[in-house]
Amino acid sequence: MKKKVLALLTSVALVATMLTACGSESAGSKGSGDLNFEIIVKSYQSSYWQAAVTGVNQKAGELGVKVNCTGPNAESDIADQVNMLNNAINNKPDGIGLAACDQDACLDSLQTAMDAGIPVVCFDSGIPNAPAGSVLSTVATDNYAAGATAADNLYAALKDTIASATAPVRVGEVNQEATSESITSRGLGFIDKFTELAKADGKSVAVIGNEYFVNNCKEAGSEADADIIIEVAVPAQTTVELCATAAATILNKDDTIGMFGSNQVAAEGILSANENLGVLGTTPGETILAAGFDAGSVIKSAIKGGTMYGAVTQSPLAMGQTTVETLYKIANGEKVSDIPTQGYWYNADNMEDASIAPNLYD
Amino acid sequence: MNKKNNVLSKFNNQKFIVLLVVIALFIFFSIMSPNFRKYTTVLSILDYSYYIILMAIGVTFPLITGGVDLSIGTGLICYSLAGGYLIVHCGWPTWAGMLVSVLFGVLIGLLNGCLVSLMNLPPFLATLCTCMITRGLGSLCSKGFGIPWPTAGTEGSWFRNIFKITVGETKYPIGFIWMILLVIVMGFVLNHTKIGRYTIAIGSNKEAAMLSGINVKFYHTMAYVISGFFAGLAAIAYSAVFATVQPGSGAGFELEAIGGAIIGGVSASGGVGSISGSLIGVFVICLLKTGLPYIGLQANWQQIITGLVLIGAVLVDILKKKKAVK
Amino acid sequence: MGEVILTMKDIDKSFPGVHALDHVSFEVQKGEVHALMGENGAGKSTLMKVLTGIYTKDSGSIIFEGKEVEFHNAREAQDAGVVIVHQELNMLGHLTVAQNIFIGREFKKGIKIDDKKMNEEAKKLFDKLNIDIDPTETMSNLTVGKQQMCEIAKAISHDAKVIVFDEPSAALTEAEIQELFKIINDLRKQNLGIVYISHRMDEIKVITDRVTVMRDGTYVGTLITKDCTKDDIINMMVGRVIYEDPKSKSMVAPDAPVVLKVEHLNAGKMVQDVSFELRKGEILGFSGLMGAGRTETARAIFGADPKQSGKIYVNGKEVTINSPEDAVKCGIGYLSEDRKRYGIVVQKTVAENSTMAFLENFVKGLFIDKKAEKDIAQKYVDSLATKTPSVDQLVVNLSGGNQQKVVIAKWLVRDCDILIFDEPTRGIDVGAKNEIYKLMNKLAEEGKSIIMISSEMTEILRMSDRIVVMCEGKKTGEIGIEEAKQETIMNMATREIK
Repeated sequence: MKKKVLALLTSVALVATMLTACGSESAGSKGSGDLNFEIIVKSYQSSYWQAAVTGVNQKAGELGVKVNCTGPNAESDIADQVNMLNNAINNKPDGIGLAACDQDACLDSLQTAMDAGIPVVCFDSGIPNAPAGSVLSTVATDNYAAGATAADNLYAALKDTIASATAPVRVGEVNQEATSESITSRGLGFIDKFTELAKADGKSVAVIGNEYFVNNCKEAGSEADADIIIEVAVPAQTTVELCATAAATILNKDDTIGMFGSNQVAAEGILSANENLGVLGTTPGETILAAGFDAGSVIKSAIKGGTMYGAVTQSPLAMGQTTVETLYKIANGEKVSDIPTQGYWYNADNMEDASIAPNLYD
Repeated sequence: MNKKNNVLSKFNNQKFIVLLVVIALFIFFSIMSPNFRKYTTVLSILDYSYYIILMAIGVTFPLITGGVDLSIGTGLICYSLAGGYLIVHCGWPTWAGMLVSVLFGVLIGLLNGCLVSLMNLPPFLATLCTCMITRGLGSLCSKGFGIPWPTAGTEGSWFRNIFKITVGETKYPIGFIWMILLVIVMGFVLNHTKIGRYTIAIGSNKEAAMLSGINVKFYHTMAYVISGFFAGLAAIAYSAVFATVQPGSGAGFELEAIGGAIIGGVSASGGVGSISGSLIGVFVICLLKTGLPYIGLQANWQQIITGLVLIGAVLVDILKKKKAVK
Repeated sequence: MGEVILTMKDIDKSFPGVHALDHVSFEVQKGEVHALMGENGAGKSTLMKVLTGIYTKDSGSIIFEGKEVEFHNAREAQDAGVVIVHQELNMLGHLTVAQNIFIGREFKKGIKIDDKKMNEEAKKLFDKLNIDIDPTETMSNLTVGKQQMCEIAKAISHDAKVIVFDEPSAALTEAEIQELFKIINDLRKQNLGIVYISHRMDEIKVITDRVTVMRDGTYVGTLITKDCTKDDIINMMVGRVIYEDPKSKSMVAPDAPVVLKVEHLNAGKMVQDVSFELRKGEILGFSGLMGAGRTETARAIFGADPKQSGKIYVNGKEVTINSPEDAVKCGIGYLSEDRKRYGIVVQKTVAENSTMAFLENFVKGLFIDKKAEKDIAQKYVDSLATKTPSVDQLVVNLSGGNQQKVVIAKWLVRDCDILIFDEPTRGIDVGAKNEIYKLMNKLAEEGKSIIMISSEMTEILRMSDRIVVMCEGKKTGEIGIEEAKQETIMNMATREIK
C-alpha cells in the first residue's frame, strides 16, 4: 500500500526528471519541422531502452521533427506509464509512439487518443485488445518467434542430453513479470517451440510453475509422466535480486539442464544466481546451458566468457528509428501497417559478425 | 547475583527468540527442500543479505530515536549509480567511486537530520521526501542508464572480493565477517559512547534529554547521518553482489531493513533496540525471501509471510510493554 | 540562614498577549527553604524558567553569588550551580539510574563511556543522601518517589548551590514525602538555597522558612512561615478566604437506595477482594496512599482493565462489564486522573469533546448533527459555568479547571448516574478547585452518585459523605464522615496487612 502511495507521489517528480533527461538528448532535432511526436518507453531501467531512445532521436534528427521521450522508472510502474500517456495526449502531439508496460492498462487512454484524433504507433510490445483504429501500426519484434528462436537453439544444444537421459530432465525459464505482451509472448514462444521439438523426438513435456504460463501454453502436460519438465518462475517484482533468487531455486535442482531468461533483467538474474552456484557453462550434460535475451555488457561478457550459452537480441535501435519513421509517414497521410522486426540468435561465435554486432548495445 | 540475572534476562529477550526463529526457519527449509541445504544457498542468502544488514544497522539509530529513515532504499541505488557512473563512464578509480557513494549517503543523511532536528519535520515525512529526491537523483546521476560496476575479472573489480573471495574452487563469504565486525563496532557505539547513549536518550524522552543539557539537535542529526553512511556502505555491497544497478529500483529495500530491525527487537516507539538484534532480524527476512521459493511458494507469498512475521514482532513489543507496566 | 545567594530584581517578561511577569523580585538566602506560591498561572514556573535560562527575560537583573548573570540555557545554569527538579520528572526511562544522573557529562575512558565509574559515583551520591537505590537499575523500573530521589541526586551532583523544587510532592506517597523532607532538611544544613514550589499548604508550614506569594504575574509579598497562618497565605494568593472546614455530616438520607454494589472484586495485585456500596446522591471518598489500588479498582469497575472475579450490581441488578462501553451503557462514567491522556482530546473543540461519549445520539444519517451538538454543549457550558469564549473553542486553550468541566459535561451528556472522579482537582488552582467542589455537591444533590478518588486529605474530608480507605490493593476501612478524622484515615491507609 505504502509503495503505491509512494509511487503516486513520486510520479510527478519522476516525470520532471525524465523530461530533463530526455530533453537534452533530443536537442539535435531541427526546429523547422512542425511535427511533434511523444514517445513513451517502458522504462529507463535497461540499456535496451536507451538504445531505442537513441534510435528515436537519430531518426527525429534526420527527419527534422520534434520528439519528446518519457517513460516510468521501472517496467512494473504501470500506473505511472498510463499517467504519462494521458499527459502526452493532453499535449496534443501529431503522433504518439508507445511501448506499453501492460497490455490492458492503456485501453481507455487509447480510446481518448483516437477520439482526439491522435495516431498511435506501438513499438516493442503490441496491444492486442486495443480499440479498433486507435493503433495504426505496431513496430515490434515478433516476440513469440523470438522466444521460439531461443528454444530452437537451446534444444539443438541439449538434444543429445535429452535423448540419453534416463530420468526426467528440467528446463527453467525466468520471466520478470507475466503482464506485458512482449515478455509473455517470448516465454510462451519458448515453451511451445521447445515442447514441439521434444515431442517430435518422442519425448513428453510438462509445464509447471507460474499459473499464467501453465494456463496459456499450448500443452501443459502432466508432471508425473513427463520426460522434460519446463519450470517457469516469475518474481514478485522486476528487480535483479528477486529474479536471481527465483533462478537459483531452479539452478539448484539436480535435474536442471537448461535455462532461459526472457529479457535483460531475467537473464542478468540468472547470471547473478550463478555467481555462487557456478553451474552454468557451454558443455551440454555437464553444465547447465543458459539462453538469454537482449544484450548489455553483463550478458555480452558472460557469453564471451562461456558462462552463458547464447542469447536472442532484438534491434532496439532500428525499432526506435522505424517508430519515428512510421509516425512521420502517418502524419504525411501515408497508409501504414504492422512492421515486425526480427530477433537474432547470437553466441560467442557470431557476436562480432557485422550483421549482429550493431544490435548488441551495452 | 545481579550480574547473573542480567545475563539471564538478556537471553530471555526478543533477540534470543528471534535467533531461535532463524535457526528454526533454516532447519525447516532444509528439511522441506534438499536443494536448500547446499553451501551455495548459504552463499546466496549471505550475498543478498549484506546490503540489507548494512541498511538495518544504520536505520536502527533513527528508529531508536523514535523516528524512521525511508530514504535508505532508493538512496542506496542513487549512491551506487553516482559512484558507478564515475567509475564506468568517467574513468575514476574504483576506490574513489566507492568513496563518493559513501559521502553521498552521508550528505543525504545530513539533509534528513537537518530536516528532522532543525526544521522539526516529522521523520516519516522528511525521509519520504528524500526518498523521492534520491529516486529522481539516481536516474539523473546515471542519465537514466543502468550502471554495471566493474564485473568480476575486469580491471577495478577488486571491490567484489571484499564480500566474497575464491580460493581454488571454493567461494568464501568473507563479507559476513565484516558484518559481524560492524555489528560489534556499532553495538559498542550504541551502548558505550556518547552518540549511542544520547540516541537512546532522545528516543526515551527528547524533552528530558534537552533539559539535561544535551545538544539534542546535533545528536538527533547524527542518528540520520549514521543511517545515511550505512546506506552508502550498503550501496557498495549491493554493487559488489549484483552485476548492474538500475535506476528506479530500490523502493522497498528500506522496508526490509526496517522490518528486520523491528523483528530484531527495536521498539517501534523508540528508546529500545540493539544492533545485533537488527542483524538477526534481517536474517529472518532474508531466509523467508530465499527459502519460500524453494518450497514451491510463489514470490508473492514471501511478502505476505514477512508481513505476518512483522505483525508478530510488533505484538511481542507491545506485550512486553504491557508486562513492564504491570 | 543569612547571606543572600540569589537575587532576582524587577524581572519582566511578556509573551504575545500575556504579561507573564510584571517586575517581579525574589531572593533566596543560603540555608533557607523559600516557598514560592501562587495559583496556577501566577507566574511561578515562568519566573523559574527565566532564572534557569529556558526563557529570556525582557528586563531586570539576576544576581547570583554577588555577580550579575544571565544563563542562556539549562546547561549554563546547571554548570553555575542553579538546578531545577522538575514537576514532570525528566527521566530517560530506558537508561539506568547512573546513566540518567550523569547524562550530558559522562565519565569517559577514551571514546568509551565509563559506566563502571558512573555507577560508583552514583552510589557515593546516594550514600551521602542516605538513599537506597541501585545505580544499575533501569529508571522506568523505579517508583515515582525513587525517580524523584534520583532527580535530586542529579541536582546535587551538579554541585548545586540553589535547587528549585517544582511541586516535588505532587506524585509522592506520604512516606516518600517524609523522606523528601529529610533530604531537604539535610540540604538546608549544607547551606544550600532552596526554592520550593507547592500547592500544599500543610507542607509549606512544615518545610519552609519563608513564603513568597505571586498572583497574576506580580509579586504580592513575602512572609516568615512560622509567623503566618495558612489563611494568611491563601488570602494573599486569591484575595479571599476559601479554606473550608470538613463536612460535618452526611448529606445522604439513610434510606437512599443503593445504586452500585461491588462484591469481592479481584483484578490483579492491586485490587484484592474489594466490596462496597454506593447510594443515590452520595459522594463516596476513596482515600489511601499513592499505589493503594484505588485507581485500579475504578478502572476494573469501569471495564478498562480485566478483572478476575467479583460481582457488580447496578440498581440491584447484576451486570457484566467487560469494557468501558459496557460500563457506559450501565450509566457509569469515569473521569480519569490524567485528563490529557485519557479524558479529553485537547485538539478538539468543547462541543466535540462534550458529545464524544455519546456520539451516536448526535448522528443524523451519515453526518454528525453539529447544531444539536453545539446546543447540548452550550447547555452544559452554562450549567457547569465553564469559562470558554464559545463551544467552538479548542479544549487545549482552556485552563485545567475548565477542561475538567468539559470532561464532566461529557459524562452528563451521556446521562451517567454514577460518576467516578479520579483525582478531580489535580493540577487545578485553588479558585477552580472550589468550583469543581461546588459542582460535585450540586450533582449529588440532583441525585447523581459519585465516587471520588483523592490523595488530598482535606479534599476527602471536605467532600465525602462516607469514606472507603484502601491500602496495598485491599479495602482497609470504611468510615462515615461524622467519625472521620485525618488521623483515623491515615491509620487505615497505612495499616499493615497480615
